[in-house]
Amino acid sequence: MATAVAALHRVRASSLIDAIGLLLLGSVLLWLVVKFFEDPTRFINVGIIGVTNGAIFGLVALGYTLVYGILQLINFAHGDVFALSGLVASTIILDVLGLGEDTSVIFVVLGLLATLAITMPLFALVNASIERIAYKPLRHAPRLAALITAVGMSFIVQNVSLALYGVDYESVPSFIPRTDAIHVGGIVIQWNKLSVFFIVIPVLLVMTWFVRSTRQGKGMRAVAQDTEASAMMGINVDRTISVTFLLAGSLAAVAGLVYLLQFEVRYDTGFELGLIAFTAAVLGGIGNLTGAVLGAMVIGCVQAFNEGLDGTPGGDWTRSIVFGILIATLVFRPEGILGERTPEGA
Amino acid sequence: MTAKKSVLAVLGLLVAALALVAAGCGGGGGGVTALPSSSCTGIEYEGDGDPDYLLASDFPLQGSSRTQTEQIVAAIRHELGQRGWKAGDYNIGFQSCDDATAQAAKWDSGKCSQNANAYAANDDVIAVIGTFNSGCAAIEIPVLNTAPNGGIAMMSPANTYPCLTVNLPGGCDATEPDKYYPNGTRNYARVAPADDYQGAFGAEFAQKQGTKKVYVLNDKEAYGLGVATTFRKAAESLGIEIAGFEAWDPKASSYEAQMKKIQGTGADAIFLGGLIDENGAQLIKDKVAVLGPNDGDVKLYAPDGFTTQATIDEAGPASKGMFMSVAGVPIDAFTGTAKTYINSLLAGPLKGKAIDPYAIYGAQAAQVVLDAIAASDGSRSDVIAKMFASQVTDGLLGTFGFNENGDPTNASGAVVGFTMYVATDKLETSDFFAPKPQTVNAAGAA
Amino acid sequence: MSTIARSGFVSRVRTDRSWWLAGGLIALALIYPIIVETLQALPFIGDFVPRTSSMVVMLVFTMMAIGLNVVVGYAGLLDLGYVAFYAAGAYMAGWLASLQFADVTFHFGSTVSNDKPGIHVSMWLILALAGVFTMIVGILIGLPTLRLRGDYLAIVTLGFGEIVPQFVRNADQEGIGFDLTHGTFGIAPIDSLGVGAFIFREQRNKDDLYYWTAIALLLFTVFCCIRLRDSRLGRAWIAIREDETAAAAMGVPLMRTKTWSYAIGAFFGGVAGAFYSSFKAGAFPADFYFNISIFLLCMVILGGMGSIWGVLAGGMILGYLNIEGLATIGSKVQDAGLHFDPTKYQFGIYGFIIVVMMLFRPTGLIPERRHKIELVEGVHDTPFYDVQTEGTLTDRDMSDD
Repeated sequence: MATAVAALHRVRASSLIDAIGLLLLGSVLLWLVVKFFEDPTRFINVGIIGVTNGAIFGLVALGYTLVYGILQLINFAHGDVFALSGLVASTIILDVLGLGEDTSVIFVVLGLLATLAITMPLFALVNASIERIAYKPLRHAPRLAALITAVGMSFIVQNVSLALYGVDYESVPSFIPRTDAIHVGGIVIQWNKLSVFFIVIPVLLVMTWFVRSTRQGKGMRAVAQDTEASAMMGINVDRTISVTFLLAGSLAAVAGLVYLLQFEVRYDTGFELGLIAFTAAVLGGIGNLTGAVLGAMVIGCVQAFNEGLDGTPGGDWTRSIVFGILIATLVFRPEGILGERTPEGA
Repeated sequence: MTAKKSVLAVLGLLVAALALVAAGCGGGGGGVTALPSSSCTGIEYEGDGDPDYLLASDFPLQGSSRTQTEQIVAAIRHELGQRGWKAGDYNIGFQSCDDATAQAAKWDSGKCSQNANAYAANDDVIAVIGTFNSGCAAIEIPVLNTAPNGGIAMMSPANTYPCLTVNLPGGCDATEPDKYYPNGTRNYARVAPADDYQGAFGAEFAQKQGTKKVYVLNDKEAYGLGVATTFRKAAESLGIEIAGFEAWDPKASSYEAQMKKIQGTGADAIFLGGLIDENGAQLIKDKVAVLGPNDGDVKLYAPDGFTTQATIDEAGPASKGMFMSVAGVPIDAFTGTAKTYINSLLAGPLKGKAIDPYAIYGAQAAQVVLDAIAASDGSRSDVIAKMFASQVTDGLLGTFGFNENGDPTNASGAVVGFTMYVATDKLETSDFFAPKPQTVNAAGAA
Repeated sequence: MSTIARSGFVSRVRTDRSWWLAGGLIALALIYPIIVETLQALPFIGDFVPRTSSMVVMLVFTMMAIGLNVVVGYAGLLDLGYVAFYAAGAYMAGWLASLQFADVTFHFGSTVSNDKPGIHVSMWLILALAGVFTMIVGILIGLPTLRLRGDYLAIVTLGFGEIVPQFVRNADQEGIGFDLTHGTFGIAPIDSLGVGAFIFREQRNKDDLYYWTAIALLLFTVFCCIRLRDSRLGRAWIAIREDETAAAAMGVPLMRTKTWSYAIGAFFGGVAGAFYSSFKAGAFPADFYFNISIFLLCMVILGGMGSIWGVLAGGMILGYLNIEGLATIGSKVQDAGLHFDPTKYQFGIYGFIIVVMMLFRPTGLIPERRHKIELVEGVHDTPFYDVQTEGTLTDRDMSDD
């Protein structure tokens, strides 16, 4: 009965809150339309930067959303696993394979694939081991216990990066040229940006296919919906969770390489980016794969518009805006853009 | 039975036992009390007997700046060694303290205040050489100023933020610099010329390069914002248009969008007021990606926070053609005493390294401080007085004294000009001159 | 049920002896500055004895940890942004006891001479004001977010913990058109504590004076928290922690009770922040980063969530490691010829402590009895899924019904 009263109360409260939320959203959209007509070329160019960066964040966000979907655990360590994978990839590329500015295209492509062939299984294992060591024993403990442990794991992984790579930024030569691939009017897309989509879109498609259509994927969805019932139906819950972490780990490795090809990586990159990616996952509707990438692109665009258009607060407020969005999402629409309402958020 | 009780009991017993044992034991080693090992090396002393006083150096020894600061510390050690670890009649022990943290990978405000409080609390600390970053100096000066026994002398080889010593109407608060000296007497001097000179130099150089419209970026910190402000004012006075004045966020992963914005303003140059440690390499790369190479249509200028080999190593080919300034004559143009000194540094502690311009400044700061200690009666306040009364004749940085603010004055020789380096695969001298007095005035004007 | 009742009885019997121990510890703590030099002269262990100035910092952070314990330990709300309260307290001291607002000259009971510009209110008064101000900040942050439960709340607090440092970094003339926080420069110098012309900072035994003040503040905090725990409000917090739905059904007003825990937790963070900013004579935006929140959380977890004595011990141990211990250990290790600097990996070490504690001793070093029972008997929050235990419903099941 108390639940019913609470539910009723919630409905009334949410209609007011929804109205405020819609108003906020509406004014932002209106502002964007105005900005678009001020200088369409620049708006689109900046938007492209945003969508590209967002796609990279999305790769990281997928890892958060996968794990949250099945365990309802915010795996803080995911961001740091991602950064460590980027750092390891830089070692493989520069020191093991010895790729450089003047390496021919064929070898660069082969070399990058070889790097993935090493980092993906490696970090899949790392991620699954983290689950086995730190999260599995806590499955029956209060939920916050696992969350706190995840924060602890995040710091441990971050310090492993620090111990191995020190405080300096690591980067690789720009293998994918930053020359124009598409040039229509003033609108430019460089090859390095285009290449991000060549990776992110297939990854998203494969992931969606995996979760929708394979036996293992169906098992994951079943465990996510009702662990107990799925265990009764003969699904191996432990294995399903391990597979999820393996998948998230290999995604982190892909994200690490993609990020490394564009930006500089440092031991703490994963923390900053992890928070952004997590925000993206929440914004898109946590647990929802497409939502995570979509949310990440929205965040990427928000960042880029804030930094690249006139009359905005500017780059030094970006983080506040991103976290403001996070808070606003949780307050106004906890289920995110594509998510479904669960009692947890409201 | 319960853990709570047993822990309390153990704690109590432990403290009681300590107190008992303490009664039976005498004091430890003689000489001076060491500064805490959380920031500093152990006491370094290679002279006879025990040290009478401690000299501390305070620099960020982690992050990209360390290529510069490690050379400064090496130069100070070298200077002490040459004097047999003595300043006049006093034996001087040395501790090198770090004001950076691994987490920040650059100077850290918490570490600076912790260090300063440690110096102030230690009666044996007679003087401090530091800091590298002006923001850190702004934290440390007031603490050292109010230290017991009349404050501690502080000498910086590298701080260039003008408002530490003088109130420039253009960039300083009304309460600067007095708020750094709560007890009313100055205790801080520096051998590096302030940024109204560097800003003016940068602007004059930009004008020579034909820059018409410049976009000024800064890191919001004392040094970066300060030098960006003076550059902006000087540039305005020379008729260069300012396309924009904005901060960059060192924690951002990409600056492409910001560079698009700069592109939209039609600027033909960018000035970076800040440090290479603050994601500078990514900034340079994104500049080149969006606005083309530095020797092309849009030039790139940076002050001494970038003037180090680390910039070129980290930014790679993108740094090519970037201009970076630093005070003093080009490193290969030193003559006389300075040349001999550089050679002895290169033969000794800096063997096999490319000498950084700041090593000379570190050595000069050490010389002034050690001379002041030698001339003093051994009290902190007298060291401060003697430091301000110092007169350097044909020293490493030429001839100069200090004015009542602690800035170098009546200078001639190496110290008066600035060098502009251009990045190739190393720092190459591009130009050397002294900024015009009217530009310097404009840089500091309201 | 029976276990809880029994332990309540035992506790009353034991109380007397506990207080004796506490009294002894307080006495020892009070004479610490006097005996510290003797202790430091001891062979072997002398090097590991913290200086008085380090003790001040340890006490400050312990005080914050006890404040955080009210939120995390008592009410069971995970706060990952406690650093925001620390910042609020520190900046309150900055605004009311420095040259920050040099256009106004206002003096009220301050130790600073009357001709100095700026607002200078007595630091003692500011300690209280900072607490109240931070309380208000806590309520403002709490109101929109406390509706959320569990991990969502943790994330929102984390968001605030990230926004607040960036806000204080940016809130200067350039950023918001009014120089509120003086940007990255921070506000410095902040006035010293003192009585009349007796200014702590100018005394030779400055550290000792601040130390005794910190001890007094910590005792006040501990006293308040013990009284609160046993009060009606404290019992309501624990009821919410154990079972929110049941507590609501029994008539505990959820929002109000949770908001109070936020406000009171924030209060101590604010007082500690203001005190610390006076001790180190400044408030700088770079001091308030996310890791501080985790550091404080680690103190609470190490000591035992909900257990005051535990958090006290956890806070002092970690505070010591942070300010001096790791460095001392590091220098010993380096003397032994190993190139390892534990201070560089301090947060890795704290992360390790968190994980190990959660896995092997989730109740902490000195467990709170009730919390221990909760963990053993599992009356807390719903697990995220539960295969073995019969009849446990997950949240998602409820939505399906």
